[in-house]
Amino acid sequence: MEKRESLWEKCLRKGISRRTFIKGCTGLCALMGVSVDRLAEVVEAAEAKPLPVVIWIHGHECTGCDESFIRSAAPLASDLVLSQIDLEYDHLLSAACGEPFEAHLKATMAANKGNYILAVEGATCTKDNGVYCMSGGHTFSSLLKEAAAGAMAVIAYGTCAAYGGIQAAKPNPTGSSGIGAFCGATPVVNVPGCPPIPEVMTGVVMHVALFGSLPPLDGEGRPKQFYGNRIHDTCYRRPFFDAAMFADSYDDAGAKAGWCLYKLGCRGPETYNSCGNIRWFEGLSYPIQSGAACIGCANANFWDDGVGSFSERLPKYGKLGNADKIGTAVGAAAVVGVAAHAAASVVQKGKREAIEAAESGKKESR
Amino acid sequence: MKHVVVDPITRIEGHLRVEVSVDEASGKVTDAISSGTAWRGLEIIMKDRDPRDAWAYIQRVCGVCTTAHALASVRAVEDALGISIPKNANYVRNIMAATLTVQDHIVHFYHLHALDWVSPVEALAADPVATANLQNTVLATYKLPFRAPETSATEAFEHDYPAATPSYFAEIQAKVKAIVDSGKLGIFSAQWWDHPDFKILPPEVHLMAVAHYLEMLDKQRELVTPHVIFGGKNPHPHYVVGGMPCSVSLTDGNAPVNAARLGVVDRAINMGRSLINNYYLPDLLAIGHLYVKAGKVDGGGLAGTRVLGVGAYPLETYSATSDGGFFKDLLVRCNGVVENFKDGVANAVYSEISAEDLTSSDTLTEGVEHSWYSYPKDGDLHPWDGVTEPKFTGPKEGTGTEWKTLNEQGKYSWLKTPKWKGKVCEVGPLARYIIVYTKAKKGILGDLTWAEDMMVKQVEAVSQVLGVAPEVWLPTMVGRTAARALDGQLAAEINKYYFDKLVANLKSGDTTMANMSKWDPERWPAECKGVGLYEAPRGALQHWICIKNGKTANYQCVVPTTWNACPRDSKAGQGAYELAMMDTKVAVPDKPLEIAKVIRSFDPCMACATHMFNAKGERLGVMTTDPYSGTRMDKE
Repeated sequence: MEKRESLWEKCLRKGISRRTFIKGCTGLCALMGVSVDRLAEVVEAAEAKPLPVVIWIHGHECTGCDESFIRSAAPLASDLVLSQIDLEYDHLLSAACGEPFEAHLKATMAANKGNYILAVEGATCTKDNGVYCMSGGHTFSSLLKEAAAGAMAVIAYGTCAAYGGIQAAKPNPTGSSGIGAFCGATPVVNVPGCPPIPEVMTGVVMHVALFGSLPPLDGEGRPKQFYGNRIHDTCYRRPFFDAAMFADSYDDAGAKAGWCLYKLGCRGPETYNSCGNIRWFEGLSYPIQSGAACIGCANANFWDDGVGSFSERLPKYGKLGNADKIGTAVGAAAVVGVAAHAAASVVQKGKREAIEAAESGKKESR
Repeated sequence: MKHVVVDPITRIEGHLRVEVSVDEASGKVTDAISSGTAWRGLEIIMKDRDPRDAWAYIQRVCGVCTTAHALASVRAVEDALGISIPKNANYVRNIMAATLTVQDHIVHFYHLHALDWVSPVEALAADPVATANLQNTVLATYKLPFRAPETSATEAFEHDYPAATPSYFAEIQAKVKAIVDSGKLGIFSAQWWDHPDFKILPPEVHLMAVAHYLEMLDKQRELVTPHVIFGGKNPHPHYVVGGMPCSVSLTDGNAPVNAARLGVVDRAINMGRSLINNYYLPDLLAIGHLYVKAGKVDGGGLAGTRVLGVGAYPLETYSATSDGGFFKDLLVRCNGVVENFKDGVANAVYSEISAEDLTSSDTLTEGVEHSWYSYPKDGDLHPWDGVTEPKFTGPKEGTGTEWKTLNEQGKYSWLKTPKWKGKVCEVGPLARYIIVYTKAKKGILGDLTWAEDMMVKQVEAVSQVLGVAPEVWLPTMVGRTAARALDGQLAAEINKYYFDKLVANLKSGDTTMANMSKWDPERWPAECKGVGLYEAPRGALQHWICIKNGKTANYQCVVPTTWNACPRDSKAGQGAYELAMMDTKVAVPDKPLEIAKVIRSFDPCMACATHMFNAKGERLGVMTTDPYSGTRMDKE
């Protein structure tokens, strides 16, 4: 097998100076959310690690994740695909099709056994042996098992791959589910969202590419650096929640003023994602900033959560108190709101830590 | 005779397989089948959901034409509930639609279609100096001057212009050479790069197009920023039944939309115009011209026989769709069917599509003769009365889970066969252009809107460049691809037009963005139904919804790719994909590049096309999937 080129070798060949290379590595530290104290590690990784081979397969999906991936601004998709990873198989971008493309997939899997990253977009279909999702004349479910077995790691892109997504919503006509249980012993990184934020998608690949290891994960297998905060806790409208200033209806005075959308059913308080901090398109916006209540698209069963409608207020947050009452008695009530909310945050934190502890206990005992 | 299978067809959305029988001596395709090989059952999932949430669920049909299904969905729900949206919301939705069209067409041409025409390998032989000269010649020869009249000039100069310097092309060439020399071709792996079609264009065209492929990969993301401003994200921006969620305030700093945010939208719109006028359209016409000169005018298929459209871009807000309000005031009146365009406008036959045609039981129907479904009795059904009974019958050769060849005599696709008055139709940008051009030339439209006038002028300008009549070049593979570029130029202008209307209306003091008077289900009738229409980038899209007691009783979509990629029918014949393949000559049967190319000229979107109907409201039963204990089916 031919030697694969590292990022540093690539720079050498392109005549890029050492200084520029180090500068680039510093930028990568920021991108991956690691401290510049670890610059040496990043430099070392970029010098030595060959470009990771990525194989990207599609199950039951809408290609929205692929589209989100190419919306990434830093790194640009062109830089990533042509210089930082070796994307050998992807239904959206690859030139080839049909038999030679499938032969290339087999050859790539064989030549890079144990070393490639498998990116999976979409759910796997299990009903009737998986005949409702065929590609290349085979079931997607059989390809998933085979490709995952030979991978260094699997990235489950999007809520469909992570948890089953839209097709797994009731009554789940095709028996679709997330891919995790079908990946054998290969580690799986869950990158949920419908779709995930572009830079979160590319950031996960960059982490694996540079460190040769998976990013630190939470109890649900999600990279902590991107899914460590609730949108509610990073939301620029949070002060309005704390001050009990709410929009009561789309396009009312509160909505025009950019007040909190909690009463319109916003799922921000239960959703762990980077919409509030990284936001979309380099900080340009996210649904709440554009006036739309969050639907919690990075949550496992968000299509079936709630009490039948996205506009219903969070059923799980009764402890927050009645937002109507908070709204009618500003002043004293605002204080109550803050206190209640703080209490709820503690409850959430406690719950989450308990889950994480249980999860990590499970992993260790494996 | 050689039987060739191409599966998967890549650079599309979703899972598509085609099989062709090729006469090796003549290169003639004697039979072709098109099969959608996956379905997800989203319409089943819609049952009992809150109709106000339908846009969010059904938008997940497709993330490539993201926004298309959300827009058709809110229109269907508003039609059912009798909601007329505010002026601003109509303008913003038209900007959402035009923005999608501009971005989607550019991505299609450069990233999904170009590698059937253009080869990085051929680009290595190009002379960078000659390529720079070529770039100048292309801009001088193939720029089309059409603009929306009297739009605001918010750009000092065009900021997005292709470089025409030898050093730029030399650098791109060096990058391509490094990739090719490394033997690790990445996304360029395993294509039939030695196919004779890649010799039609000179090396300099290959290098120029490869450079633009890379530039557009970087730029496409910026084109959709209007979706991010108005809908919070892309893919899958947010909508709201009754208008748009993006409230406007010119006094509040936290408002979703204010002057600064509109500046972002305007910049993206200006960029879209520049990229289409300076890159996409000139590149496409330069390449298309060389193809026409080389005699490559095949791949038309059904387009010259029958095309269908539903109309686009409501000028102002309207009463409803099913009462005909939608059709009364459209910027692009491409609603209708044109037959026999291949024989020229004089011999073409036009039929109107009006509100009654949407709801009458025998105009728009679907059949399942060759689809993996069964109906209780023979014949076709209107989507309102559709029945869902999946019936997977497996392939002709192979097993249910390991296919060799599909059975063209029996069932072979998860797509149904949609029909207009019992006939199959092609839809898409090509259909829109054929319909508007025919209607205009026959005097059916009366006074043309500026957009219709621009469409006619675009067609005439291209006819002049290519030196052939519209009926010769339009219904071909090249024509289908060219019509998409013209549609892109039109959409870029329409984007600016509605942006100006939005600003003017805000200036007049009207900042209303949503009509919430019927938000509360208490104010809905116990039973109602509605239709939503939208000319998506890939063609005519129709959504139907039945609402009962505040819940979705039935949800159905008939989607552009279903029209085009449908399986055959014993009475109606073959659909657009199959006929286009039959109309395409294959030079090397082992390497059917022409087949992949003609299929991609439709911009397939398979996730959109495959779905199930269940008008009667039967539940298929609830699936429980447990990787350890297996799959269980609970019949209800």
